[in-house]
Amino acid sequence: MNALTFDAGFAPSRIRLVDIRHRQLLIAQLRMLLLAAGFAFIALVALVRIAWLGVVQPAPTEHSMAQALLPPRGEITDRNGVPLARAFPAYALWYNPNALGDGGPPLVNPPALVAARLKAIFPDIDLAATTRFLAAGKPGYIRRRLLPAEVNQVNAIGELALETPGERDRQYPQGKLAAHVLGYVASDGHGRVGMESFLDSRLLDPAQRGKPVPLSIDVRVQGALEDELASGMRAVNAAGAAGIVLDVDSGEVMALASLPSFDPNKIDAEGQKHMFNRVTNEVYELGSTFKPLTVAAAIDAGVVTDLGKRYSAAPLHIDGFTIHDDENLGPTLNVPETLIHSSNIVSAQIADQLGGDRLSRALADLGMNERPYIELPARGFPIWHKPPWPRLRTMTVGFGHGVAVTPLHLATAYAALVNGGIWRPATLLKVKPGDEARGRRVFKESTSARMKQLLRMIAVYGTGRKANAPGFRVGGKTGSAEKATAGGYNHHSVVATFASAFPMDDPRYVVVVMLDDPKAVAASSYQRTAAWNAVPIVGRLIPRIGPMLGVLPDNNRDIDLSDLKPLVGDGGGNE
Amino acid sequence: MTQQSRLRRMGWIAVLALCTVCYLGLHLKVHAVRSEVVRSERQIIALEDEKMLLETEFETRASQEQLASWNRVEFGYTAPTAGQFVENERQLAKFGTPRAAGAPEPIRVASLATGEDAPPFPKFVSPLTGKPVDEKLLDPAPRRVNLDATYERAALRIPLAAAIGDVHE
Repeated sequence: MNALTFDAGFAPSRIRLVDIRHRQLLIAQLRMLLLAAGFAFIALVALVRIAWLGVVQPAPTEHSMAQALLPPRGEITDRNGVPLARAFPAYALWYNPNALGDGGPPLVNPPALVAARLKAIFPDIDLAATTRFLAAGKPGYIRRRLLPAEVNQVNAIGELALETPGERDRQYPQGKLAAHVLGYVASDGHGRVGMESFLDSRLLDPAQRGKPVPLSIDVRVQGALEDELASGMRAVNAAGAAGIVLDVDSGEVMALASLPSFDPNKIDAEGQKHMFNRVTNEVYELGSTFKPLTVAAAIDAGVVTDLGKRYSAAPLHIDGFTIHDDENLGPTLNVPETLIHSSNIVSAQIADQLGGDRLSRALADLGMNERPYIELPARGFPIWHKPPWPRLRTMTVGFGHGVAVTPLHLATAYAALVNGGIWRPATLLKVKPGDEARGRRVFKESTSARMKQLLRMIAVYGTGRKANAPGFRVGGKTGSAEKATAGGYNHHSVVATFASAFPMDDPRYVVVVMLDDPKAVAASSYQRTAAWNAVPIVGRLIPRIGPMLGVLPDNNRDIDLSDLKPLVGDGGGNE
Repeated sequence: MTQQSRLRRMGWIAVLALCTVCYLGLHLKVHAVRSEVVRSERQIIALEDEKMLLETEFETRASQEQLASWNRVEFGYTAPTAGQFVENERQLAKFGTPRAAGAPEPIRVASLATGEDAPPFPKFVSPLTGKPVDEKLLDPAPRRVNLDATYERAALRIPLAAAIGDVHE
């Protein structure tokens, strides 16, 4: 009984114990299961999230400051980093009639009142037209460009329909300066005309547009060139003018101007008219400026060995055509006198002795049989007759007629003439020292040395005297060619050119200035020739740009002319 | 459940709660800093825009054409002539006159370094840490500053280190 009692008393408690343990085990297992499920759920969520990020969501757009500061179109600067073209945060004034969104009238105040308030901010707008525009209720620009202060004033009117969206604008801080070099950006966002067109893909490339593109031009030199060209052009009432300053050793264009110019900030019909580039696109018969090239080719070929040799200056009759000089220069002339007095007759004789083959090869080596080398899209093709040339053509090319080239061709040829004889293509991109184009040899070093003396003599004794800026050792050759017209030459319209280099003892820069159709006015002593209009421009320009380009005036230095001096009298040039 | 294990559990919960609170605090702080960074970035962008606006306005107002027309009307500066340049020390010495016979000996003076009696240039203190910025930046090897007349955007600002270096010299 006792045992039974014991049994009876013991068994239920034991069963209960087992039961509790069993239940706790179950609970523990359940919790474990829940926990595992929880972890599994978290892991699943994480996996789904990863899959979501990887598959569905696009890559996170980089929202950084660098991104926001990246201009939509790269900046163009000059060689010293002065900005010439930049993306500029601007505001426009846009009329949005649906801004209120209630289907009612677009403006809170009557259109006439709003127009009057706008007129108070922008005095140049047409009150009646603006009132009509606002009343019509069609969206559109009221004004394309606003200043920040004007934006604040417009917002102060309190009309929601007058919106001032921020727009990126292409701004040319220097205005008309170097317009032909830069070009402009059309409304489609792509560049036109100048370097804007050439560099278009580079300026729009997101990887590269953060870095400005330096051009070879120097804005100060460009400013001086345009200033002097414009005043020279006004003084003689010329139809147009062109100028270029070229580094003779690297081919870098320091300044390039074609006048009249246009304003890339504001392209209109007037601007469109002036967009063609006289320096690189228009070809001219550049006349007497070719004579040094003929003489150089003749010296180089060994045709002219004695500069003192005298040639007859009597008019030449070839194939029913008479070659004559503008005035009687005496019975005979030697080579320095030929250049100083610019004799067509003797130049033609030298060209004749040299022969058409060698003359045409020299000119072709100077790049005159192809478009000029420059980055600009507008490059004119020269008027070039394929050799062999008949005798008369050889003779006329000898003094610059029968071949028409751009002023840029002439500048690169003169660079080769004075830099030791190496022709290099011109470039508008800044060239790192040591990275210059290799170029090709056209003249011997000795020929170049001789030509430097001869060019200097023209500026000292001849037609280039007005360019002989004290201390700058300028040398150069004038040229005044009658303009070719449909039926021959127009005797009352000339192209006056002065191709020069300085300092002649160690030439660094070539300056070519050209005036299209200068008039004979009092300012040029009633003369039309280059000596009276183009040459003084260079004479004023070089003292301005020399120190900027690292050429300091020095009265104690000059190229040695002592061996050629006895060959000429006191000079006294004409053109 | 024993007293001990209950205490332990409460302890764990307290630790967990504390960690959560700390984490939340940190999280908020990180967000606060991040939004501050974003705000500063926006400010920088706005200032850069404004700078560009002012710079462009300045460039436009001082364009070569404008300067030339001012010069024509107001200043009348002309290009310098050869006489206005001195190429080297020898040319400079040419301007001196030789000492006449019997002239007194020139008085020799001790050289005075610039800025000797000037107070030391205030140290630049970082606005974030409150400590002076890199010593090397403030005390570089002394060198002369060339104030070029060339116009470069960067050259308009004299390098900070160089300028201070000169003051210290």
